[in-house]
Amino acid sequence: MKGQAAKAEVGMEIPELVKNPSTQQLAKYAGASGDFYQIHYDKDFALEVGLPGVILHGLLKTAFLGQLVTDWVGEEGTLTDLQVSYRGLDLPGNSYRCRGVVRSVEGAVVGLEVWGEDPEGNRTTIGTATVQLRR
Amino acid sequence: MPDLVERAKARIGTEGRRRESPVEAGHLRRFCEAIGDDNPRWRVEAPPTFLVALSSETLDLPEAMAYGKGWLNGGDHFRYQEPVRAGDIISSVTRLTDVFEKQGGSGSMLFLVSETTLRNQHGRVVATITGTRIRR
Repeated sequence: MKGQAAKAEVGMEIPELVKNPSTQQLAKYAGASGDFYQIHYDKDFALEVGLPGVILHGLLKTAFLGQLVTDWVGEEGTLTDLQVSYRGLDLPGNSYRCRGVVRSVEGAVVGLEVWGEDPEGNRTTIGTATVQLRR
Repeated sequence: MPDLVERAKARIGTEGRRRESPVEAGHLRRFCEAIGDDNPRWRVEAPPTFLVALSSETLDLPEAMAYGKGWLNGGDHFRYQEPVRAGDIISSVTRLTDVFEKQGGSGSMLFLVSETTLRNQHGRVVATITGTRIRR
């Protein structure tokens, strides 16, 4: 894997990760995660509860943000903390752009701000991640 | 729905059923396919959010189900202590830690915060997950 975390500096943006989730991916995620809430695969149900259509699982978006960080860390460390807040809905068929910036470096501990953007650039998921580097 | 909120608050501290889940290599593979992460590290080690597939992170509270029309996810916080690998047996238990009501743009919402503790077969805590779920 890429593994550039050893060179982390405050203010540095890490390589972005762009995902293009489909309804099929939501069905696969429902099966693999065990989250069978119908708003993620049943459009009629989603409309009935006031949503614009089926929406991405929040935790699928968190999985994308986790990958953003672990791709960057590679074999050079371990993710020790990942915290996210879901601020907006995301629909399959739209791209989902994951980004992150290094906010702190204290010895072998790197703190990051991470977020996911919809195609309009709205940060629909925001969060933080902490990485422990192997030194 | 003040009565419903009070009844839900009275459930703070409630623990769900303990669940024991073996970490299966095939399950890891299917999960990684589903999230689209082909990092070879995850052939034997669990990727960060896999732990939710091993635990039942929501408690089925009738008081919550009676509030609003549906669920939204507010947030998740994973704290990792040890890697989880294929072959491990993970036991998890979820406890309701907070309940509160908020007024949002589209009406009132009920927030339920729960904490799931996951331990491996050696009895060591591998991770905790704090989840905020919303009824509206």
